[in-house]
Amino acid sequence: MASLDVVHYDSPRMRILRFGAGIFLVLYLLWTLVPFFVMFVSSFKDLLAAFNLPEVGDWSGITLFFDFTPTFKHYVSLFVDNNFSTYIANSLMAAGGSAVISVIFGSLAAYSLSRVEFAGKADLFFWIISTRMAPVVAVMVPLYSIFRALDLVGTLPGLILAYTTFNLPFAIWILKGFFDNVPYAIEEAQMVDGSTRIQAFVSILPLVAPGIGAFVVLCILFAWNDFLFAAIIGSGGAKTLPVATRELVQPQNIQWGAIMAAGVVTTMPMILLGLVIRKYLVTGLTMGAVKE
Amino acid sequence: MTKISQVSVGAQDATSKLFRAREHSVEVEARPLGGDDIKPRKFNPPLPRRYYLYLLAPAIGILAFISLYPFFWLIFLSMQDVDIMGGNWVGLENYANLLTDRRFLNGWSLLLKYSAACLFLQLTIGVILAVIVNNSRYEKVLVTALLMPMMMAPAVAGLLWLFLYNGTFGWYHWIMESLGILGSASILAKADTAMAAIVMVDVWQWTPLITLIALAGLKRVPRDQLEANMVDGASPLRNFFAITLPNLYPVLVIGVLLRFMDNFRFIDHILVLTGGGPASATKILPVYLFEVAFKFFKLGRGAAIALTLLLVTIVLGKILVSVFDKPKGSRS
Repeated sequence: MASLDVVHYDSPRMRILRFGAGIFLVLYLLWTLVPFFVMFVSSFKDLLAAFNLPEVGDWSGITLFFDFTPTFKHYVSLFVDNNFSTYIANSLMAAGGSAVISVIFGSLAAYSLSRVEFAGKADLFFWIISTRMAPVVAVMVPLYSIFRALDLVGTLPGLILAYTTFNLPFAIWILKGFFDNVPYAIEEAQMVDGSTRIQAFVSILPLVAPGIGAFVVLCILFAWNDFLFAAIIGSGGAKTLPVATRELVQPQNIQWGAIMAAGVVTTMPMILLGLVIRKYLVTGLTMGAVKE
Repeated sequence: MTKISQVSVGAQDATSKLFRAREHSVEVEARPLGGDDIKPRKFNPPLPRRYYLYLLAPAIGILAFISLYPFFWLIFLSMQDVDIMGGNWVGLENYANLLTDRRFLNGWSLLLKYSAACLFLQLTIGVILAVIVNNSRYEKVLVTALLMPMMMAPAVAGLLWLFLYNGTFGWYHWIMESLGILGSASILAKADTAMAAIVMVDVWQWTPLITLIALAGLKRVPRDQLEANMVDGASPLRNFFAITLPNLYPVLVIGVLLRFMDNFRFIDHILVLTGGGPASATKILPVYLFEVAFKFFKLGRGAAIALTLLLVTIVLGKILVSVFDKPKGSRS
């Protein structure tokens, strides 16, 4: 409790509660982390070793999980047999491209939305944010039909544009909150000193730069992790990592070792990025509604 | 004396010359260069509103092309019978068909059931976890561990759990079978357990979000109220329900709405794990829509389904934005 210093609880009931909380925490951590551990370890296992399972109910057989000789062959096969370097490049370009476009145009739009009032602003704003909230499949039906007519299906520009449908509204919405927090007085002071409006805008950029950086990363994260757009709009020419990983599942032959290795390759960079922008993560994932 | 006066006269002369010269030059300088109508230059004239419009325009333009235009195209599409080859106008027939489409109605009810199960579990576990983490010494480390599932691509999470659930070599399958919860058939193979399986994956991946939201809310629970209540002899549990939970309420509403809408948005793990099966047991509406539009390429029919889905999302979005805009509550 926030104020143990005021009244100290140490009844037996409290001790049981605390013990229960500890157990709950340990169980939850196991539940969260074990899949990662299994993925990581299995990516180094030979196929036969990965399929080794003890008899049902034989709890001591759990040690069988660690009974293997590590091999890197799945990682090698990803890059040698499966073209994963191309897919990584595709993922990077699609995610990075849409993030950069979204944040550049998003910050301009967010700045002006933050500084000017006009009739219908609330409606415009709601339209922008509802674009971000719309179900991906529902958005994709007309988008696919339009993109097919424009020959954008299966191309990287098409995929970048598709990712912009959710990243641009997100950037506008979040960055507006950032610009709202910068007092207009700073720009006024700059302009009294003789700078133009554009120079005044540039002068407040350093104040919002960390936030903008964090949201470039978040936009990359959303696009990198996307599966639906990549599977339909990017299918063919612009295959990204999640789609390529999914395609390792073939009816005849599911290459589990390679899938786990691809999972590690896809997930690791995002976990690292997530830790880097930890401070902005909750704000970003709740669209700015909850701030830490 | 005279010398001095002479000098002074000379000086006067000189100064008067000087003054004349200056007067002259001032006159020259002060003379307007052009006509009389030139106004002094003003720096930063009052803002023309156009200026902001220019900044706003490119973003609005892009959005109009990738969101507004597709929206009207969707309405147009929904009144056609579109196939791979093109379409013909059928009016409202697609909508009329939906009313009798059992899989469509089933999709809605499954979507609601799925969301209810996910939200209930995520909310309960998430809030309990947030309280525990908030009181823990290792808060930073714990939060880092909790972040990890959220960073994983949902499709990859689906594949990972497909591996864990596998009936012959999946470790989670083995654990559940050993505990006697499950028979020898995989959890994904039976209609009544498949739904539980996909709910578990969603809970695994997104409970931490509710925890983080609740944690942010917990930091803002007023301490003085808690202390006053404690001094009055309230137990910690009572304190939680009387003070902490009501203070948490606004952030939790946001969390629940966001997760609810995400259940509409993301079906990646369901597509990977079950593809809607077995026997349509997990074919929640977005999955059904995916199948109609992108497996059978009935885009017209799909558009009609998509429109119903969009309308519900827009209503939910309105509610969410009105919660955002509340002056009190979550915004600090």
